[in-house]
Amino acid sequence: MPTEPNTTLFQDYFTDFKNYDEVLKSNMSINSNWQKLLTNLSDIGFKNLSNKQKEVNWLMEENGVTYNVYNDPKGIHRSWDLNIVPFLVHEAEWAKIEEGITQRSELLNLILKDIYGDQELIKNGILPQEIVYAHRGFLRQCDKIYYTTCKHLLVHATDLARGPDGRMWVVNDRTQAPSGMGYALENRYSLSRIFPEAFKNINVKQSSKFFYEFNQMLINCAPQNKANPNIVILTPGPLNETYFEHAYMASFLGYPLVTGNDLVVRNGKLYMKTLKELKQVDVILKRVDDVFMDPLELREDSYLGVAGLLDIVRNKQVAVVNPIGSGVLENSGLIPFMNQICNYFFDEDLILPQIASWWCGQKKELDYVLNHLDELVVKHIDRSNRENIFFCEFLDEKALNKLKEDILSAPYKFVAQAKISFSTAPSFINGALEPRKVMCRIFAIANNEKYKVMPGGLVRVAAERETLFVSNHRGGISKDFWVVTDEAQTNFQSYSWDNSCRLAIADINDLPSNTAENLFWSGRYLGRALVTARYLRMVLNRMNQQHYDVSYSNTESLTILYKSVTNITSTFPGFVEKNSGDAINNPLKELTSLIMDDTRIGSFAQIMMSFNHSYYSLRSLWSKDMWRVFDSIKKLWSKFKEEKNYSIITLTKLLDRIITRLIAFMGLIEESILVNQGLLLYFIGLQTEQAMMNVAKCRSLLVPKYGEYLQYEILESFLSSHESLNIYRYSYRSYLSIENVINLVLLDKEYAKSLTYQLKRIKKDVDRLPNTDLNVTNVCKESIAKAYEIIKNLQVADLIELDESESIRQKLDDTLAELSDLLHETSLAISDTYFNHAYQQRQLVTQNFPLP
Amino acid sequence: MTTYQLIHTTTYNYENGLTFCHNLATLKPKTILGQTLLDYNLQISPRPIEISDKTDFFGNNITRFSIQELHTELKVTAKSKIIRDFSLIPDINTNVLAKQITLTESIAYFKQTKPDLISIKQFILESILIAKITPEIKAYAEVSFKPNRSVFEASFELMQRIFNDFEFNTKATNVATPIEDVIKRKKGVCQDFAQIAIACVRSVGLPARYVSGYIETLPPPGKEKLIGSDASHAWFSVYIPQHGWVDFDPTNNHIPRNQHIVLAHGRDYYDVPPLKGVIYSTGRNKMNVSVDLRPIGN
Repeated sequence: MPTEPNTTLFQDYFTDFKNYDEVLKSNMSINSNWQKLLTNLSDIGFKNLSNKQKEVNWLMEENGVTYNVYNDPKGIHRSWDLNIVPFLVHEAEWAKIEEGITQRSELLNLILKDIYGDQELIKNGILPQEIVYAHRGFLRQCDKIYYTTCKHLLVHATDLARGPDGRMWVVNDRTQAPSGMGYALENRYSLSRIFPEAFKNINVKQSSKFFYEFNQMLINCAPQNKANPNIVILTPGPLNETYFEHAYMASFLGYPLVTGNDLVVRNGKLYMKTLKELKQVDVILKRVDDVFMDPLELREDSYLGVAGLLDIVRNKQVAVVNPIGSGVLENSGLIPFMNQICNYFFDEDLILPQIASWWCGQKKELDYVLNHLDELVVKHIDRSNRENIFFCEFLDEKALNKLKEDILSAPYKFVAQAKISFSTAPSFINGALEPRKVMCRIFAIANNEKYKVMPGGLVRVAAERETLFVSNHRGGISKDFWVVTDEAQTNFQSYSWDNSCRLAIADINDLPSNTAENLFWSGRYLGRALVTARYLRMVLNRMNQQHYDVSYSNTESLTILYKSVTNITSTFPGFVEKNSGDAINNPLKELTSLIMDDTRIGSFAQIMMSFNHSYYSLRSLWSKDMWRVFDSIKKLWSKFKEEKNYSIITLTKLLDRIITRLIAFMGLIEESILVNQGLLLYFIGLQTEQAMMNVAKCRSLLVPKYGEYLQYEILESFLSSHESLNIYRYSYRSYLSIENVINLVLLDKEYAKSLTYQLKRIKKDVDRLPNTDLNVTNVCKESIAKAYEIIKNLQVADLIELDESESIRQKLDDTLAELSDLLHETSLAISDTYFNHAYQQRQLVTQNFPLP
Repeated sequence: MTTYQLIHTTTYNYENGLTFCHNLATLKPKTILGQTLLDYNLQISPRPIEISDKTDFFGNNITRFSIQELHTELKVTAKSKIIRDFSLIPDINTNVLAKQITLTESIAYFKQTKPDLISIKQFILESILIAKITPEIKAYAEVSFKPNRSVFEASFELMQRIFNDFEFNTKATNVATPIEDVIKRKKGVCQDFAQIAIACVRSVGLPARYVSGYIETLPPPGKEKLIGSDASHAWFSVYIPQHGWVDFDPTNNHIPRNQHIVLAHGRDYYDVPPLKGVIYSTGRNKMNVSVDLRPIGN
């Protein structure tokens, strides 16, 4: 019985595309489970829905929810699309789904145990040998490894879609490193924040208990039943497609996010490298694929895993979730045999139906497949990505023949499936509801003896109206997944990502050294970016003034400033080499390149790029506000790049805006992370870089002696690039003199921008770094102490002394050179002592096998 | 029957030295029918902080060890004493039934689902280094393998053809040269010949495995044998129903007898490299291998 508002909602819904729909039945009646949601939607109206959708898009972007797509023209950090209209299932149906998923998880668990155990399924002829042995996820190195956990399969994700018969069908299983839980969590958080009206009068089941149990599961996995096991989340790194989720889960659960480089196997145990020492790890939640987990025993070209890990697993010194080797279950060859296996183990049929599938390793099935090829979908048993799925109805003669040939050359590697038309659900697209195919990913975890299913999950929507295939890899849309119940539910948990059972990193000693390194470099890049931007802005301002004042000294001072730019940024030849005529004659061109050219070493663009990299690696530490500021810098930058309008005025304006944001960003860092979380390393990096740049500027501008008027102009430029002109005027109330400038920017003990102050601050912070070995002298602490000792005892009168030629302040230059060396030594020593990544993992014999 | 002393020494020199490495060694000869390992001793310098042995999926002994001290040279010496008596290995020439079994019969035999066949049938499937069996390789195989021809005869002929058609050339290939290149260039070393043969046998649907081992080389007449003049060797093995695995050496064109020592079995070289590892270092390293296999007493 369609109601009035719903008719409006569904106007033109099926105009050009008719399909089995979740909401609108073929007789145009409405699925009653959706009634309340539709009422809520129509109460709000299309216009407001559009605004809500915009807000959700904004929030997802603000929160930095991304899904990386390799080689994506939109850049690697593509934002995650959440459709404003959720997907829902009533509790009554959900109970059946839950039962089916639980059965399937139990079954896959037994299959996994059997494959790496006694292989009874193969011995008893239930499962053909080739389905396991020809699957590249079957890792012979994992044979006969026994685990302490009751279940071997600990996390299981299943993709379901509704078939024309109204039942939910199993499309896929994910067992290696299932993704999507974090996105599901974030979807619920964002939708309830932006669109609470949608939930009006509807009871939606919450997943907070599930995540509590998930955490408990990780704790329970620890070998030897440790009470407080050390748990880490292993990510392939910021380039991985679901890196956002890795960082999100790390932040949500409160465990360190690590890469293979942070871990090391020694003395039969697994350790995480921290600032102070090696810390034993008991449980790894892995997001790295099986074969990359151990370059010693598995793929030798992997840099994502830990050499020797598998042996530690074998000796029950560490638990990996899911166990290495679970990928063998991501196997479409299993599908035709699942019902038999289910009967073998449980003496019952599968609850959830699967798509009719034929394994080509059998004669009869192979013949059927070859005779009906054009109406089937063909897959490799061990490849489920879109590139390896053949929708035969769309293939031409030539491609079909090629496929036939491939199948015949190794039939056991192929499975064919009936094509099935799955249901659509309304999605809000371009201001109206549109039917789009949907696929639901549902998650189950082992909870001691039983599997627990997350109420809801992740719903993905086909990217185009008529697309059959739903995949994130091509960048799709997602939906919040509601299990609605007739019982009232408790209020929403706040899912903000820093509200969790986080076990704070108790001590700076425990900071993973890779994180420490990234923090140090974030500080250095940020410091460098700020000083460089200010310096370039000052030069641009001077150029602008020259338009109005073309006196001789002005031109000469500009030339000096141009040359100093090249020196400070180390972007030779630039303005300094003999053939620098071009640059001097067209300084704007050179400066534009210094600002915008990200392929040029030392350019501002490149500093920002390096900063981006270290920023992404630290994703789990940053706050949302920081993300927002960071994102606005990126937008500002790309917009400016697109416009290609490079004049003195526009460049100055760009730098102005970026500088403001960089300063805001720096303020946020200080309030967002604790010193013990690594802020100390960031400070050391930042101060060290600023001090180094300070020294470089002084050497470039204060060492040579100029005539009175020129000197004035140079000093003024120097102070203005240093943002110290006002302080100078306030402190000295006098004409600019070299003596006072040196007093202010080098020797002042109280002024935060003076070198003395900076060195003192670095020394204080470096002294707080842990001592790794009491017997070894700590080079970084010594170097910075020496630098501070030198600057503390300097006298301005000595520094301004001129050499014999009366053109250079030699003493000043020598002192600055020495300080500069000590700062570099400090920085190098910090890397050597604390970051320990100098050594690259390599193979004993470089084999370069063409690995599949 | 011959008793051998085998010394296999591998030395790595690291330009910049290193303080930490994990390694796997497959250096312990198997005890199988016709071959008994009497004595085995693995010396590693510097001394590993950890060392353990395990049996891999294919029944080979693997030693895993880690070193945690600064060193510029790693030296691994495996010393074995082995009795080799090929007369204990069932001779296919005396097994008339097995010798005559045809390709068609053989394929039908492997279609059965029997628990005992699992470990044999896995060698029909492709493996890491023998993954791309090209039509060219299959065509080469089909010259010898015919539906109604004896599998033994065909395998023997395949061995002979590889010996005649392929040039032994240590410069032509390295461990990473793919089989599809080897079949085109028809040059290589024992490992390439073994892998080509295995690819051929698998291309017609039969199980074939890689045998890694050693062969005794004889000095020119009247000359003293030089120490360390031997080398690692490799050949292939075909499973013949009603009989078992039969080894063929395509590099020397005969069925191994007492001069061959079996080290390990695998699907291809990838499963059984004598020594591999992960090191943490910069700079180059240099490897030197010496093998000395000589009969003792008797």
